[in-house]
Amino acid sequence: MKNRILIVEDDEAIASAVALNLQVAGYDCAVFDDGRRAADSLQDDHAYDLALLDIMLPGADGFELFGYMEQYNIPVIYMTAKTDSASEIRGLRDGAEDYIVKPFDMLTLMVRIEKVLRRTGRLNTVYRVRDVELNSETKTVTKAGKPVYLQPLEFGVLLTLLKYKNMTVTREQLMTKVWGYDYVGETRVLDVKIFSLRKKLDLTDAIRTLPKLGYRLEER
Amino acid sequence: MKLWQKAAAVCAGVLALVVAACSVAMLLYARHTILDMSREQVKAKQRDLATSFSEMANYYLLEADTSPVRESLVDYCFTRFADDTSVLMQEGRTLSSALDIDPSRWLDPGTGDGSWEDRYGQRTYEGRIRGRDVFMAASQVSVRAERYAVYTVADVTDIHRDLRTMALIFLAVSLGGIALGAGAVTLLMRRGAKPLAALSDAARRIAGGAYDVRADVSTKDEIGALAADFNTMAAAVQSRVDELTETAQRQRLFIGGVNHEFKTPLTAILLHTRLLQKVNLTEAERAQSLTHIERQCTWLERLTQKLLRTITLDQEVEKTPVPARVLLDRVRASTQQIMADRNVTLLTDCDGSDLLADADLMQSLLVNLADNAGKSYDPDSPDRTVRLTVRGNVIEVKDAGRGIPPEAIERIFEPFYMVDKSRSKKLGGSGLGLALVKAIADAHGAKLEVESAPGKGTTFRVILPTE
Repeated sequence: MKNRILIVEDDEAIASAVALNLQVAGYDCAVFDDGRRAADSLQDDHAYDLALLDIMLPGADGFELFGYMEQYNIPVIYMTAKTDSASEIRGLRDGAEDYIVKPFDMLTLMVRIEKVLRRTGRLNTVYRVRDVELNSETKTVTKAGKPVYLQPLEFGVLLTLLKYKNMTVTREQLMTKVWGYDYVGETRVLDVKIFSLRKKLDLTDAIRTLPKLGYRLEER
Repeated sequence: MKLWQKAAAVCAGVLALVVAACSVAMLLYARHTILDMSREQVKAKQRDLATSFSEMANYYLLEADTSPVRESLVDYCFTRFADDTSVLMQEGRTLSSALDIDPSRWLDPGTGDGSWEDRYGQRTYEGRIRGRDVFMAASQVSVRAERYAVYTVADVTDIHRDLRTMALIFLAVSLGGIALGAGAVTLLMRRGAKPLAALSDAARRIAGGAYDVRADVSTKDEIGALAADFNTMAAAVQSRVDELTETAQRQRLFIGGVNHEFKTPLTAILLHTRLLQKVNLTEAERAQSLTHIERQCTWLERLTQKLLRTITLDQEVEKTPVPARVLLDRVRASTQQIMADRNVTLLTDCDGSDLLADADLMQSLLVNLADNAGKSYDPDSPDRTVRLTVRGNVIEVKDAGRGIPPEAIERIFEPFYMVDKSRSKKLGGSGLGLALVKAIADAHGAKLEVESAPGKGTTFRVILPTE
């Protein structure tokens, strides 16, 4: 099951970038550019795991939309250009899970989305690439239905690559996420883990090395 | 020490000095006059006594009279004129006296003792004898070849006592007067200083930030005038502060608007750049991302230009006479493409007058108004005309588009205000066009008028100053 995310943002360029990014990372997205229309659509379809709301919207603004989201029990993250603390406080006191101020970085937004989904128990725990399936809950990996044993570090690297599928993850980001600290110095150990993942799961062409940038798990 | 205390002290001091000087002068004069008078009286009395006595004695006495006869006759003659101040002596012997003192001890007219002799041969003495103040006058008279001394001895103790009493009364009256005067001066000064305290209090409170405080002083003197001036100043300060606060507020809003308007395109550019950098996109997705980036950049560029123009307009504009026809031709040329794209006709008309303006800025103003007028038409509007007319010093831009809702009219010149945000964004609006128009009009000292009815159209009028 993919997580479904509602995006309400009147700026088409931002909406398309966020939606594209989330889609390639394995989310389903619905985009609206008008608050009123988004609210109306909820009557027919409100099976969303999360809503990303702009605050300044035509039709109905983000704070108004929040009422509808609450009704259908959809957690909310505000995407706002308003930096004044008053609107932040209002947004959070009303019960929004989080907010992110423009201009924001997509990876930051995705980390926040993931946190909210986990906190509300909606996070998809099963990730797939080709015939490989990873369950982050049971910490198991199967290939074509057969269990494959991975070392803890290998599991961590694969999980991170799967979470940000189709996106480039830098070596530093991988080290930080898997090893849990700002790893400085020797990163050869990462190359070793990637090598063994490719071999064990037959993902040699799927895990791409982008010189000077990092790695990317591709599936299109 | 407070000012009113100082002033009161000085006034009281001066008052005391003047009163004291006057009192002393008067006292001395009175004393001199009174004593002189009493002396003259005593002297006159003695002169009368001596004259009367000698005339009578010379009349009654004969040269041949024997001593006892002579003595009783002299005594008789003297007592006829004598009173309780008179003494008659002969060579140190008292012949007749109502007193128990021997005046020759202090004054002897025969020996030249005592004070100087005047033209009547009279001598005087003044001094204290046995605890009494005494003034005496004496002279020698000769009666039939014998010389006698005639004295008038006056007790002037009472006069001296009266003079002292008078001095005491003077002192009391003076002190009372000084006290009264000082009190009055103090009171007056204190009352005079009260408005100053009120002024000082008001000044302190204004300094503390309460700019609406005024000094409540309504006296009609210089302090009242000062208070009025002070209040005028406070009002000026208040209005200036209000003005500055408002300007600061406007600038804060403006900067907030700039911040907000820049963030959205920047976010879009950033997101799409990262997308291109980090995600394996299809060719179509890649092209779409690039288009988004290009559009946002173009828009940012336009925004920046308008922003710069709006901000730098604070400088003085250079007004020169510009023929209206030339200005309208320039506006037409620079809006030709955009009007054609929107399928809008721009009609210009002028009366051949010259406009006193900065040609570039006025062109920018009119292009903005004409552009707005063009945007006011919905795609399906039948009549699509913008009329740009110059009559004398009045320029008019008129459309028959969708109009402005009445509640929005007073906000349309605010930076980044848009009546319908999503609509104006789609048409490439920055929210700065009319703010720029207003800034240019203000820089020219021109008046801006708007008439609009929803669904009927809008007319903008720029009225340039005529001087």
